[in-house]
Amino acid sequence: MVKHFISLEWKQFKRASYFQKGIAIKILLFLAFIYFGGAALLLGVGLFFILRKTMPDVDPIITVNNYLVYWMLMDLAIRYFMQQLPVMNIKPLMVIPIKKNSVIHYLLGKTVISVFNFIPMFVFIPFSVVLMASGYPVLKVLPWLTAMYCFVLTFNFTNFLINKSNKAFFVILAILAVLVGLEHFEIYKVSVPMGQAFNYMYNNPALCLIPVLLLVGTYLLNYRFIQKGFYLDAEISKKVEKVKSQDLSWMNRFGKVAPFLKNDIKLITRNARPKQVVLISFIFLFYGVVFYTQDIYKDMPAVLVFASIFVTGGFLLTFGQLVPSWDSEYYKMLMSQNIPYRQYLESKWYLMVFGVSISFVLSLPYLYFGTRIYGMIAAGALFNIGLNSFITLIGGALNRVPVELNVKSKAFGNTNGFNPTQLLIGLPKFVLPMLIFYVPYYFISFESGLIALALSGVLGIILKNVFLSKIEAIYQNGKYKTIAAFGEKK
Amino acid sequence: MIVTTNLSKSYNENTVLNIESLSIPSGQSFGLVGNNGAGKTTYFSLLLDLIQPTTGHIENNNVRVNESEDWKPFTSSFIDESFLIGYLTAEEYFYFIGELRGVSKADVDELLKGFEDFFHDEILNQKKYLRDLSKGNQKKAGIVAALIGSPKVIILDEPFANLDPTTQIRLKQIIKDLAQKQGVTVLISSHDLLHVTDVCERIVVLEKGEVVKDIETSEATLKELEAHFSNIEVA
Repeated sequence: MVKHFISLEWKQFKRASYFQKGIAIKILLFLAFIYFGGAALLLGVGLFFILRKTMPDVDPIITVNNYLVYWMLMDLAIRYFMQQLPVMNIKPLMVIPIKKNSVIHYLLGKTVISVFNFIPMFVFIPFSVVLMASGYPVLKVLPWLTAMYCFVLTFNFTNFLINKSNKAFFVILAILAVLVGLEHFEIYKVSVPMGQAFNYMYNNPALCLIPVLLLVGTYLLNYRFIQKGFYLDAEISKKVEKVKSQDLSWMNRFGKVAPFLKNDIKLITRNARPKQVVLISFIFLFYGVVFYTQDIYKDMPAVLVFASIFVTGGFLLTFGQLVPSWDSEYYKMLMSQNIPYRQYLESKWYLMVFGVSISFVLSLPYLYFGTRIYGMIAAGALFNIGLNSFITLIGGALNRVPVELNVKSKAFGNTNGFNPTQLLIGLPKFVLPMLIFYVPYYFISFESGLIALALSGVLGIILKNVFLSKIEAIYQNGKYKTIAAFGEKK
Repeated sequence: MIVTTNLSKSYNENTVLNIESLSIPSGQSFGLVGNNGAGKTTYFSLLLDLIQPTTGHIENNNVRVNESEDWKPFTSSFIDESFLIGYLTAEEYFYFIGELRGVSKADVDELLKGFEDFFHDEILNQKKYLRDLSKGNQKKAGIVAALIGSPKVIILDEPFANLDPTTQIRLKQIIKDLAQKQGVTVLISSHDLLHVTDVCERIVVLEKGEVVKDIETSEATLKELEAHFSNIEVA
């Protein structure tokens, strides 16, 4: 039986559209896997030595145990975000004589083979090997390693239980933030009791049975969950969502582009993929923290400009780069409707301006880093509105990849809306502002660099109609190709 | 109203549609029949300028569809589910189409009132997104959306497929009214010979991209079509 399943899976994998995409993407994905795998492996080997060097008084295994809790929460958060629920095409199997149980066991077993379960082991296994090679007792290390693997799998199954609700993600994220905060300000160190617990477990290998039991428990829970839902009308058929009605009539003031804007708001709030993208774009807001706090960048304002573009450009970069693709599911209708391309593009431009403006308002706390930094963010925001928005729209015309709206994107599995053209068209979005800033900065002063950057954005806004006409022509030219590409079955 | 001249469409040497000339006068209810792959949807897609003709052109009310967009205000269509916006409710979708075609919310409501029978309480006030409706109900919503804004040309691909018998009968009446009372040019395609002969004044049979029959509908038409389709050789 399992043999049949595996052959089905293999066909699904081999014939999936992403696999038949360009060789360039395959190589990129492969490199990404090698990179992450390699990085994990290196970390695993080096961890012991790094810890011994940086904290010579503490046994490395104790340090690792102390911080395990953070890894766990982060692991859960990342999984929630990236790991897809296992889907097997169950419908056709329901009517043929196969035992329900074997389908479910197979389905659950399949999830074990996931990048998310491999990467942590790429760290833990070499770390354990180094431990044993350095004379740590095998009888303690091996049970500990087993316990870690059980934890990894427990999270794997826990994720499937909580993945359905958005709340769980935010709860985990909030717990993580609070714990990190408490730890950072030395109010309460959760790593202490948790660390003690893990260390206790390490010293009493018999206790490693607990994670084993946890694993069995979550597995059974999942099993029961799926078993209960093993009917067409339950889990397998798509969940019918309750309608959230929104009153967006206030947007009518935007005139002709209002219908599109209202539609885009609904698009974002009612579909899984755009929601995910918008969440990611929020993370971009924190990009500045990484750069502005590093002393080495103090004297490299061009690099800081790069970061500033990110701070306000999160939505523009992530949502904007998929601009016509968001409407790919009903593009044919739009093209046969009474819509000038111009209005459609203009509405997307407004949407991006919205995104940048909101990000700019949210970036107010960056004033903490001083007015110079905040000036950069402001100039960057103007550049984003005035030029990057148009560059993004042009990029969209060349990006003809259909997007499935209500499906979350997977890590390493889903190359929806990702191609080398995108990477190329993405370059000017960062290089251009750095150049515009750097030249006057180098020859005149910091302030003149900022002014140049801001002015370039203002100029873009003034020339909006010229740009839009040009972009409209590009879209018009590619119309048939775009329709054909969006019509392709995924 | 709709004049097709020397139209052909090929994909790598493979010609899927080749119509030398075909004109559909204003106010006609026009039916396109043919087996799978005969070119029905291709013809409609060309008419809506969704694909590019290899040769020739179609003029819709003297507008060449692949050169100007001026045919859009008076033409509407429902080809398949990809004409629906899955994340909207039926009402939101109707209002959206209304806004695109310059019809106010109140006027859309007025129009919808006339279709209460047709909807059979399964479309409006459902608190469901279009993507969660059944195929048949999606089709109902799409067809009615194509009637918003008093178009002069309506194109419906396979409108009877997936509909329940009651709705099929109601739809037939709607299409007849459109052509006879309101002078709308209605183009439909179908696999169901009975429905097409019931509804259409004129029926064109496509076979491998070519027009093989062009019939004014009469009592004898159904028999003629049935005879034609049962004798087609399986190539």
